Amino acid sequence: MARSRLFSRPAVTAEQDAWLQLKKVLRVFFTYAILILGMLISITPFIWMILTSLMTLGEAQGIRWIPSTLHFENYLNAWDEAEFSEYFFNSVYITVITLVGQVTFSTLAAYAFARIEFPGRDLIFTVMLSTMMIPAMVLIIPNFLTVTWLGRIGPINWINNWPALTIPFMGSVFSIFLLKQFFAQIPDELYDSARIDGAGHLRFLWTVVIPLAKAPMMVIIVLSFIGSWNALAWPLLVTNSPDWRPIAVGLNNFVDEAGQELNLMMAGTFITIIPILIIYFFTQKQFTESIARSGLKG
Amino acid sequence: MKRRFFTGRQLRQLREYLTAYLMIAPATVLIFAFGIFPVGFALYVSLHKWRIKKGEFRGLTNYLKAIDNLTYVLLFALALGAIIAGFLILRRIILRIREENPGNKVWLLTIPGAALSAAAYAFVRWSVLLLPEVLAIADKIWGLEKTRQLFMGLLKEAFLTPRVVEAWRLFLGSLLISLILSAAAFYLVRGMKFFQYLAQFFLAWIVLPLGGGLLWVTFQDVQSAYQTALEEGTDPGIWPQVITISCGVLLLIGAWKLWSRAADQRHTWSFLARIVAAVGLLIGAWLLIGELPRVIASGDKGMWNGLKVTAFYSLGTVPFQLGFSMFLAILLFQNLWGSELFRMLFFLPYVTPTVASAAIFRQLFSNRYQAPVNQLLIGLGLEPLQWVREPQGIFSMMADAAGIGLPEWAAGPSLALVVIMIYSIWTYVGYDTVIYLAGLGNISTAIIEAAEIDGAGGWEKFRYIIFPLLSPTTYFLSLIAIIGTFKAFSHIWVMRQGSALGTTDTFSVVIFSEFFEKLRYGYASALAFVLFAIILSLTLINQRLQGDRVFYG
Repeated sequence: MARSRLFSRPAVTAEQDAWLQLKKVLRVFFTYAILILGMLISITPFIWMILTSLMTLGEAQGIRWIPSTLHFENYLNAWDEAEFSEYFFNSVYITVITLVGQVTFSTLAAYAFARIEFPGRDLIFTVMLSTMMIPAMVLIIPNFLTVTWLGRIGPINWINNWPALTIPFMGSVFSIFLLKQFFAQIPDELYDSARIDGAGHLRFLWTVVIPLAKAPMMVIIVLSFIGSWNALAWPLLVTNSPDWRPIAVGLNNFVDEAGQELNLMMAGTFITIIPILIIYFFTQKQFTESIARSGLKG
Repeated sequence: MKRRFFTGRQLRQLREYLTAYLMIAPATVLIFAFGIFPVGFALYVSLHKWRIKKGEFRGLTNYLKAIDNLTYVLLFALALGAIIAGFLILRRIILRIREENPGNKVWLLTIPGAALSAAAYAFVRWSVLLLPEVLAIADKIWGLEKTRQLFMGLLKEAFLTPRVVEAWRLFLGSLLISLILSAAAFYLVRGMKFFQYLAQFFLAWIVLPLGGGLLWVTFQDVQSAYQTALEEGTDPGIWPQVITISCGVLLLIGAWKLWSRAADQRHTWSFLARIVAAVGLLIGAWLLIGELPRVIASGDKGMWNGLKVTAFYSLGTVPFQLGFSMFLAILLFQNLWGSELFRMLFFLPYVTPTVASAAIFRQLFSNRYQAPVNQLLIGLGLEPLQWVREPQGIFSMMADAAGIGLPEWAAGPSLALVVIMIYSIWTYVGYDTVIYLAGLGNISTAIIEAAEIDGAGGWEKFRYIIFPLLSPTTYFLSLIAIIGTFKAFSHIWVMRQGSALGTTDTFSVVIFSEFFEKLRYGYASALAFVLFAIILSLTLINQRLQGDRVFYG
């Protein structure tokens, strides 16, 4: 403190002081003005969506912003008649299956890459990492052919069924990379003492490593959740009936087909957003951080 | 004394390896099957006529249809690149041998290296021959009762096709020979670095023949193109084009290098070097610009249009997105009351599922006059617009309003694309702000305080301290954003309208619609590889140009 006083400007007159005060207040005022404007731009579309979803069809097509009465039954209609319930639960199943597979496989692989030395480890890992550069559009066509082929020869159909929607996403290079970074930091002494107590790799992973790695595990869970909830291009290809159509595809079709039923469409849109919103508000910090760190979005 | 085959320790080691392989197996198999194998498969598809079912082999036809003679230029460049890479590897080996001096015998390793690379090529040949046979199983099994036995039988049949068996034998033979040679070389050379040297020789032997092969393919294809042209009595003009474009690129690169190095010297000839570089740049750029219209005119209109749309989309989103978010981040960084809340709300659009937010925007910017944005225009006393359905360029719309006629090339992005740009900026500003906030957090307060003591005002602090210190963040974000515009798909797909006449179709959307709507798998794969090439070269150029301008504190 003393130093800053030493360097502070020569004594100011009362007039100058008042001017400085005013400048400060003005600055804060303008900062808030800009921030609030930005906030309004960010959330207005959502407010419009919610308000429209509560209108009658006539009101929604008109120019009103505020519904005269709140029609919550729009949500019921979207849920039942527009089949959003089906799409919603499809998405839930798809997301849960993908999540379980991806987290399990990534944890196992990341542990092996981080803590066990084996021939070819660095080579395999480098090759894996280099696949992250490949754009999805290169992969989508051959993968579609592969999945069709697998469905034709195998006991269960892949197209229009859960395998095509989940299995290709269970191996995630990014998740492995993230977890490996974390696992490699765990001190060797922990493993040595666990081994003296008679634990093998799997038990060490389950009882020591995973409890320590809650934060990065959260990150990959959140990311894989968003990834499979938002996916559009791939599910569009591999589903052709409502049986397994996820909610993003369902909404996309609804936008195209039922362009007139604006209120139902906005109700469906809100239903699509809700799960992500809930997760976002509950795990806000980790959520922001995990997305910021990965820089990925569908 | 009887010696055991494995000691206890070795056995434990083996068990450890086995555990590791088992642990990585599921993820590795999946990543291979859906992330690595498809690249080769896509290449295979792109060389065929393939509409739902595999058609005949067409060679480069799909690529020629997309980018015409540029295919030869790229192939030529790829071949040269491979050969140069091969020579670089060889040079590294020579330098290493000189440095580590393991004796002259090490050169013997080039023989097993070559044999191993031959085996690798034989393996690739076998896989390429096997692939269609395995794919055909799906058709053979169609309509029959799917049993394990039937599938196994068909699979066996596929593996036992005469051509496949012959290729397999060739592979096994070459592998055996190379293993014997390697063992012999190991016996002769020994040394600790045996495998590293062998791997480098192997790599050199993989890359050099690849370059040679590509060169040969290019020549063959150009030759046959000339042949057909001769029969038709036209001049394809491939060689002049290849030479002009290659020279243009080489001149550009050379001039750029001269230019960037000239800055370090303080002599008269550095000035001369700059002049030479500038002239080289001009000539190179001129050659390229002169050749481009011809190439574009003869390529696929849809694809070039997609590229143009993508370029507009990048230019119209990335700078705004970065500018707004840097501004917001600096405001938020003051730690005012409620900045947490603001940050959370700014981030909201980014978090929202893309399809959902795009559906909202499609309605906000709908062409109905009751739609909110049109109502706003009417409230301001303006005419409602078509927005997402408007194919006309915005510059030409503005010019029309002002009563001036604009030429077609200056029309700018269509209004429909502008809506998508607005959406994109709205979505990504929150994300960029969060990253910028992290970047600001890394700037040490001591520097800023020092600047304050020196009497720097708000703008000076920003211009001379914060902005340069944020440059790594800006670099990272711009790279992600530019690559993101090439990958952009979901929101464009949702907001895309037929009446916008394809003015919103970016490269990814063009590929997807070729595949999904027109069912041209082969052609779409070729386009996807063009996209891949563009993304790769953008990343490289970005690294070269910006890498040394970024100030890392």
